[in-house]
Amino acid sequence: MSNDIALMVKGLTKSYGKVRALQGVNLQVQRGQIFGFLGPNGAGKTTTIRCLLDLIRPDGGMVQVLGINPQADPVTVRAQVGYLPGELSMEDNLKVEGQLRYYSDLRGNKIDWDYVRQLARQLDLDMRRSIKNLSKGNKQKVGVVQALMHRPKLLLMDEPTSGLDPLMQQEVYRLLKEARDDGATVFFSSHIISEVDALADRVAIIRQGVIVEEAEPQQLVSMALRRMQVRFKEAVDPTPLGDVAGVTLLSQSNGVVAYLQVEGEMDGLIKALAAFPVSDFEMERPSLEEIFLKYYKGQEGN
Amino acid sequence: MYAEFKHTLRRLRGQIIGWSIGLGVYSWLMVSLFDSIVNIEGFEELMASYPPELLSFFGDSMLAITTPVGYIDIYYFLYMPIIIGIFVVGVGANLLVGDEENGTLDLIMAYPVSRTALFWGRWLGFAAGTAVILFISWLSWVIPAGGVGLDLTWIEFMRPFLPLFAILLLFGGLALLLSFFLPSARMASMLAGGLLVANFLLDGLANANGDLKKITEYLPLHFHQGGDAITELNGEWLIGLLAASLAFAILAWLRFQRRDIRVGGEGSWQFALPWKK
Repeated sequence: MSNDIALMVKGLTKSYGKVRALQGVNLQVQRGQIFGFLGPNGAGKTTTIRCLLDLIRPDGGMVQVLGINPQADPVTVRAQVGYLPGELSMEDNLKVEGQLRYYSDLRGNKIDWDYVRQLARQLDLDMRRSIKNLSKGNKQKVGVVQALMHRPKLLLMDEPTSGLDPLMQQEVYRLLKEARDDGATVFFSSHIISEVDALADRVAIIRQGVIVEEAEPQQLVSMALRRMQVRFKEAVDPTPLGDVAGVTLLSQSNGVVAYLQVEGEMDGLIKALAAFPVSDFEMERPSLEEIFLKYYKGQEGN
Repeated sequence: MYAEFKHTLRRLRGQIIGWSIGLGVYSWLMVSLFDSIVNIEGFEELMASYPPELLSFFGDSMLAITTPVGYIDIYYFLYMPIIIGIFVVGVGANLLVGDEENGTLDLIMAYPVSRTALFWGRWLGFAAGTAVILFISWLSWVIPAGGVGLDLTWIEFMRPFLPLFAILLLFGGLALLLSFFLPSARMASMLAGGLLVANFLLDGLANANGDLKKITEYLPLHFHQGGDAITELNGEWLIGLLAASLAFAILAWLRFQRRDIRVGGEGSWQFALPWKK
């Protein structure tokens, strides 16, 4: 495995009884990248992350985290990783600082407490409060601090902004980008498309335990379906446009306006339009959300 | 491992203090009542007048209640496996699975601590906590004993605590092992506690029924000497109990090594039942 690769997953499978949670996940994450792992609830995001930390054992496939097999040497992997679980639970009878000191103990007391306090200040987290008195959002802040406090080489975050208000979400995005700028790799799962769009350098979409797409967010957008509205100078029969490869004629209005859906290259459509008296056209680029939903249309059909 | 050992003791702190105070006060009270009870006129005759079935349930100690050995056995060691058993069975079953059910284990396991270190750190914390409770009880017998004519040395007082410690580790280890197979820590503690009580009852009934002896001589409480250890500690039995405790702990550790950590909540049966496809 190249030194540039932080995470490599090949053919990862995992079943819970009859439920096939992962059906051959393949992923590769470069070092220094923020990688978004997008999928709805139950798609396999959390299962994948938990396999990376040897919290659960895959049925098949290969995993390497920072060049190490987590099943063979989980302690070395975990020493270099910061993890934020999707369902964060902590000991209610401890104060925030006590909880963080326990986590520090587990890391051999090598934590820079000035940095911990700085993180807590940035997230507006009071370390003197009891865990049991914290709101979900404040507990999430403790989770973010514990994941970052040892300046890990790799951050595995399962829905990192869950429960946080928009201001704190922005602060977490900033912290993750700072970590990336300091050389860390960030792998985070989310079902919030705007979050992935705002944060990720690269994104993978998982559906029913299989990666269905992996690309840069902008690349995904450009590869996806676009909708086009063409206005003609006079009434025409736009039916031939629907015969162009990748083009679907959605509707027309008196032969003057045609609504088309285009998938992939535009070349064939542009050439076909040359034969028509075009007065104007508009193209709608889809949002990442629409792309995401496109991948899930098939799932609903199934 | 040390971090987990320390953490386990800290988490059990409240229970350790509560049990130690409770049993310490009880032991102190029993010591101070010794001379009053043994000097009650006709006390031995009263005991002897009890139904023979009842007397045999409690063994020979009932008739020797006015002697230091009989007194300590009847008022402490006879039923302490059941009383302190409540503590060890509850703690054993929740030692790791309790954290799994409340969701905290998921994050702890993401720290650079091996499963082996986590398991044995917690098990040692549990063993140390149990030892502290017994130590306080022992002190509560030893310190006031001289003043009431309970003429035993501190070593003689110490001896019966050793098999008691071993039997508690054994049932705690059993609860821990069961927690990895049963759907919840609650069920594991109920089953381990039920087995402990069943063993206690069978052991008592076996004193009156020779046929039951054939079964109970293979059960753990048969090897719990109780107050008899004051005069002579059976080293082989003690080693056997400690070995069995360790065997349960090792089996639980092996199971924990191979186990998927749940995110939270109670689980389902861990067996692949042949009729469930």
